[in-house]
Amino acid sequence: MLQHLIFFPVLLPLLAGIFLLLPPLHGHVKRQRVAVLVVNILLLVSAVLLLQQSIHHEPQMYMMGDWQAPFGIALVNDKLAAIMLLLSAVLGFAVHLYVFGGDDQRGPFFHPLFMFQLMGINGAFLTGDAFNLFVFFEILLIASYSLLIHGGGKQRTQAAVHYVLLNLVGSVFFLFGLGIIYATFGTLNMADMAYKAAHLNADDIALAKAGGLLLLVVFGLKAALLPLHFWLPRTYAHTSTPVAALFAIMTKVGIYSLWRMHTAVFGDHAGELANIAVFWLWPLAVATLIAGIIALLASQTLKMLAANLVVISAGSLLLTVALNSPQATAAGLYYLIHSTLMSAALFLIAGMVQEQRGQAQDRFVRSRPVNQPALLGGFFFVAALALIGMPPLSGFVGKILLLQAAGDAADAVWVWPPVLISGLAAIIIFSRAGTTLFWRVQGASQNQVLAHPLQIAATVLLLLMSPALVIWGGGSDRFLFVSRL
Amino acid sequence: MNLFWIPLLPLLGTLVPLLSYRFGRTATAALTALLPAISLLLVVLAIPAVFAGEALTWQMQWIPQIGLNLAFHLDGLGLLFSLLILGIGLLVILYARYYLSDNDDMGRFYSYLILFMTAMLGVVLSNNLLQLWFFWELTSISSFLLISFWSHKTDARKGARMALTITGAGGLALLGALILIGQTVGSYDLRTVLASGDVLRESAVYPVIIILFLLGAFTKSAQFPFHFWLPHAMAAPTPVSAYLHSATMVKAGVFLLARFYPVLADTELWFVIVSMVGLATLLLGAYTALFKHDLKGLLAYSTISHLGLITLLFGLDTELAAIAAVFHIINHAVFKASLFMAAGIIDHESGSRDMRQLNGLWKYMPYTATLAMVAAASMAGVPLLNGFLSKEMLFAETLHQKTLGSLSWLIPLLATIGGALAVAYSLRFIHDVFFNGEPINLPRTPHEPPRYMRVPVEILVVLCLLVGVFPGFSVGELLNAAASAVLYKPLPDFSLAVWHGFNGPLLMSLLAVAGGITLYFNRRHLFAFQGQFVELDAKIEFEKCIQWMTAKATVIHRWLDNASLQRYVLLLVVFALVVAGWPLLQLEGASGSRPQLPVNAVFLVAAGILIIGTLATVMFSHLRLLALILISIVGLIVAIAFAYFSAPDLALTQLSVEVATIILFLLSLYFLPQKTSLRDGSPRRIVRDLSIASLVGAVIGTLCYAMLTRPLNSISEFFIVNSKTGGGGTNVVNVILVDFRGFDTLGEITVLAIAGLGIYKLLAGMRLYVPAADSDGRPWAKDKNPMMLALVSQSLLPLALLVSAYIFLRGHNMPGGGFIAGLITAIALIQQYIAHGVAWMKVRLNFPYHGLIAVGLLLATFSGLGSWLFERPFLTTWFDYFSLPWIGKFELASAMVFDLGVYFTVIGATLLILANLGQLTTSERPLPGGK
Amino acid sequence: METIYAICVGIITAGGVFLVLRAYTFAVVLGLTLLSYAVNLFLFASGRLVINGAAILGESDVYADPLPQALVLTAIVIGFAMTAFALILALRARADLGNDQVDGDKD
Repeated sequence: MLQHLIFFPVLLPLLAGIFLLLPPLHGHVKRQRVAVLVVNILLLVSAVLLLQQSIHHEPQMYMMGDWQAPFGIALVNDKLAAIMLLLSAVLGFAVHLYVFGGDDQRGPFFHPLFMFQLMGINGAFLTGDAFNLFVFFEILLIASYSLLIHGGGKQRTQAAVHYVLLNLVGSVFFLFGLGIIYATFGTLNMADMAYKAAHLNADDIALAKAGGLLLLVVFGLKAALLPLHFWLPRTYAHTSTPVAALFAIMTKVGIYSLWRMHTAVFGDHAGELANIAVFWLWPLAVATLIAGIIALLASQTLKMLAANLVVISAGSLLLTVALNSPQATAAGLYYLIHSTLMSAALFLIAGMVQEQRGQAQDRFVRSRPVNQPALLGGFFFVAALALIGMPPLSGFVGKILLLQAAGDAADAVWVWPPVLISGLAAIIIFSRAGTTLFWRVQGASQNQVLAHPLQIAATVLLLLMSPALVIWGGGSDRFLFVSRL
Repeated sequence: MNLFWIPLLPLLGTLVPLLSYRFGRTATAALTALLPAISLLLVVLAIPAVFAGEALTWQMQWIPQIGLNLAFHLDGLGLLFSLLILGIGLLVILYARYYLSDNDDMGRFYSYLILFMTAMLGVVLSNNLLQLWFFWELTSISSFLLISFWSHKTDARKGARMALTITGAGGLALLGALILIGQTVGSYDLRTVLASGDVLRESAVYPVIIILFLLGAFTKSAQFPFHFWLPHAMAAPTPVSAYLHSATMVKAGVFLLARFYPVLADTELWFVIVSMVGLATLLLGAYTALFKHDLKGLLAYSTISHLGLITLLFGLDTELAAIAAVFHIINHAVFKASLFMAAGIIDHESGSRDMRQLNGLWKYMPYTATLAMVAAASMAGVPLLNGFLSKEMLFAETLHQKTLGSLSWLIPLLATIGGALAVAYSLRFIHDVFFNGEPINLPRTPHEPPRYMRVPVEILVVLCLLVGVFPGFSVGELLNAAASAVLYKPLPDFSLAVWHGFNGPLLMSLLAVAGGITLYFNRRHLFAFQGQFVELDAKIEFEKCIQWMTAKATVIHRWLDNASLQRYVLLLVVFALVVAGWPLLQLEGASGSRPQLPVNAVFLVAAGILIIGTLATVMFSHLRLLALILISIVGLIVAIAFAYFSAPDLALTQLSVEVATIILFLLSLYFLPQKTSLRDGSPRRIVRDLSIASLVGAVIGTLCYAMLTRPLNSISEFFIVNSKTGGGGTNVVNVILVDFRGFDTLGEITVLAIAGLGIYKLLAGMRLYVPAADSDGRPWAKDKNPMMLALVSQSLLPLALLVSAYIFLRGHNMPGGGFIAGLITAIALIQQYIAHGVAWMKVRLNFPYHGLIAVGLLLATFSGLGSWLFERPFLTTWFDYFSLPWIGKFELASAMVFDLGVYFTVIGATLLILANLGQLTTSERPLPGGK
Repeated sequence: METIYAICVGIITAGGVFLVLRAYTFAVVLGLTLLSYAVNLFLFASGRLVINGAAILGESDVYADPLPQALVLTAIVIGFAMTAFALILALRARADLGNDQVDGDKD
């Protein structure tokens, strides 16, 4: 069984998704919940096993259909993939806990779609084949389209129209890019592409460049690279709480693909094709960060704030891709884990605040108090510290790693000011948000809504990851430094 | 190990009050004090070692990749600060026991307070730059929590936010400075850094380091122009003001100046900036303090002024100045903490802090008044009190320095003026509060506070006297140890005597006292003069500034992001155009070496139709039904093109998908307006879009041409060679789909399945306006299910099923396969829906489509999992040939099960989509909830 | 023939891009359909053009590159799923938002 371990992160959610559509699970809330919980735990276990494997062994391959490497589709487990899988498992587990509070009953097929979503994300992390990456992108996209509208509502529909249509155009460019890649490289296996990149016909170089850069557009769209990031804030802010939390990892799929494609295939070794994306990424990542800061300061609701923070974290992560060094990648990876979990936590908190505050929802206006001020306020405070990047929570380690990675004086001029200022902007907006939401109250609450114990458990689980990342941050050395991408 | 316990014990102590508050106030206070007291004991026990010059350190690895270690060390400076932090902290705990009312959450208060204590100890004991910053930020956070302790008060909320923002910004600057220092030196170890002064001062980034570093220090220590947050931090309960905002936290900034004095000072840049900022703060604080009616306001500005004094001393280019600075840190902490506590007592017992109401309290609380007056005298710099000594040292050093070159004479002059102002506001504090007639409209009749509330003040005032009279005996050694840690080299000679004879500094002191008294007695004129200026409330200004920033950000944000998909798509397209077009500019000729195929007439005609069809679709997109017909022509030609270029599988698939798509479009059109106005966008926009679209078309066309005319060296040979032998099929494309790249196909049908589920979700509970007539006003035909159609389609169904079975079966060896077969079946079934109506079908085809999807996916997945039994990876196929009588030789392959899965999934998904869409107008429409 | 093929791909792309930039959801979905035609032809072209090549082993000595064909097949199916979703979403938007424009009614 263990020789198939690499396939588990894709297979488990796929099977779960299928069985959730069939009797005896279909239509039974409790059975479905038990089933997804079991699958989540299995996913966690397999992710941990894979991580162990990746630390102790060379990258492992799983060849679909038993066809050898460039011909069949390969799933590849290395440190980077394993960390991402673990991240998605933890996030999926937490969000599922939260969903058991009742969100899964607000529309049909929530659980199977959620499972397919995880399948798409995990597949994108594992696959070593460029076209298969496209297929998994489409799986995670179509699942995200369907999850996005879960619960319904005008704003959600409007957000979905934008998100879906824009991504459909993006997928078109993905295929154009892949066509060019195949036409020049003659292969789809990414390791094979990396090998061939340095030996391409001189005549094909310009074409391959165009193909590689079209993929940059696609991944940039996913990763929220300016000027392709505008879809993100409204989409995340207007979808349902658990879906928004899950989406926290979606931009990271884009970042991950950039690492896989533009740091590995078009990496330093690729001759004339080396680092073709860096020229574009540099200014755009900085611009993303700046646009994110501006949008952050303009945020009027907690969910919008959280969504704009996702843009800021995307900007920071894109910077680490642009910096293009092992140290920067390690910084990016740490920051990625931290920002995914903490953004997700903030979305969950925003959801609970929204439900308890009644009409004012999560808008930054004076209103009736929440029913559990100490609990939610405490959660908010912890998440805020982490996301601002203040000690003692994980954000500060990520920030220091990032600043150090940009240490080379020429780079620092570009990286430091926006990174430091984003911290300041976060302080300003979080202190405004927190004092308004929890302290500027009038009257008494008019509803009896209380956070479901599982919702609280989910939030606590996510928030605990932050101190854990700091306390055991030293141990991260072993897997953060991805020697070979 | 002891060293580690010093900050750790208070850290554990943060939990104590939270657990013990239920045992009553006194018990809580006592228990809370316990752990810090032990810490203090540990520090005291370490005193001999520190005085003997031993380096006490303790270190543990934490996050080595960023250079962050858990590292503590105790030297003279750390010792001095630890004593202040723990000593005054314990007094504040005692004081707060009486200060807080029953309504206040004492447990929370003490917990925050002890958290602050830990953070502050962490700052002063750190032997690692990043760890120092770690604790530095913790002090900002705990300060925020303490200022906003009474969170229902607007003042408290705003004051806290302002303090956090300013000190937080400074913290970020400091982080930048520390990382730069660490990277320049190559280590974050403080001892190593302190030994690398020359490296730092000669580094190219030294000016940047200095600016960032001083931003950090100045914001924390409320130096001009960042001083404005401190008075508003006084919204905190008075014990907090006494502890954080006068004695300790604000000293963190000057601590930093002291700590890095050996490596960062000693340059023109440092001396000029630090001394000028210090001097400005000194004067501004002292001047403003004079006009404050609020007791705590006066003390706050006085604190700013004294912090300026200390900063000024660090900015003077003499070594003795640094020693004086350290001395004044001690003195100020002692007298200012006691003054704040006294102010708190007055507030507590009289109900007011306004000096216009508080008069003549001497009569009501003589004991407290005496204590406060001694402390205030120390603040003013009256001989025999500690404040006098350090002020004398300041005056002496202002006379010796040459910081400003030939303008250096300004410094002693301004320092004297500052001294005079200090005398004046101290005098005001004493005279206005305790004398000057009778109290006016006080809420309560003042009286002496509880016995133990006074104890902390007494202890501090005794210290004022003790240091003031016997400086060498009381603090001499401590000062030596601390000062040598600051200078990081042997101390120059200096004497801590009360009397140095008649000299310059004494003259300055006398002048200051005389000037102060004069100022105070002419205060009416001064107040009148000051009254001409509009007083700015920093809180309001700060709030305005934040609001201005938010407003500006909103404007810019709206300008950037107008919430328009049209713009988003445009940006996406343009971005793609630029990055894909840019490499083409470097390509000399698009044409490659591959020989081209000759053109023939059929092809030309087809291409002509394709182009015309495309253009017509674009032109008539507003006439939707027409556009649909036109686009289906394009699709048809595409299918033909696939067939023409040797891809029959593609042609079949394209054709069947085309049919399904058009049905879908037609069904949707029923619910959408069938015509729209001709103009979709302004002429300018249309021209713009046309140009961009043409450019994209040109780039893609060129890429396509370049691709087509270059030879390809691909992995495909492998598939052709292995298709029959390894995959058991002669239709290579199909073998790729179900075998070589079966995993893609599994993903593809998963996409289709999810789309079906998602579309069901979209349709569930959707309320659509159902038009009663078409766009021209013709009513729909009454006969919804025409007899003819029903008959024909019913008789066609078996044929269609037969065809699909045939196509399915031949798929592996001939064009065809599960996908096409599935679509044909689905469309045949949809036709029955159209012909007979939903109700008729429901009787005959009553199973949930999502179940069919699941069965299909399950079949496909299980066919792949089957190979696990043979210890092969997922989707490894198996096939063999059998022969039966009558049928003859035939092949069985696991790929056929896979293809069957594809078949069912396609039927399920297509029906889920089309049938549910068709059912929208009927009573069978999907409902929210999924049932 | 390659030239004309490329011109066709370019024109369909241009038409598709123009339509996806329109304000009405229907036009955008039409544009996406055109773009998917274009991209399928493009992807197909990555295997170069072959006339009278063998689709089945043994039919002829010349083979068209089968891999792009398989990729295009996958892309067609995924494109169908996506178009269907987009179209139904357009209906949903009409129902929820009361108009059929991508950014809501701006007239």
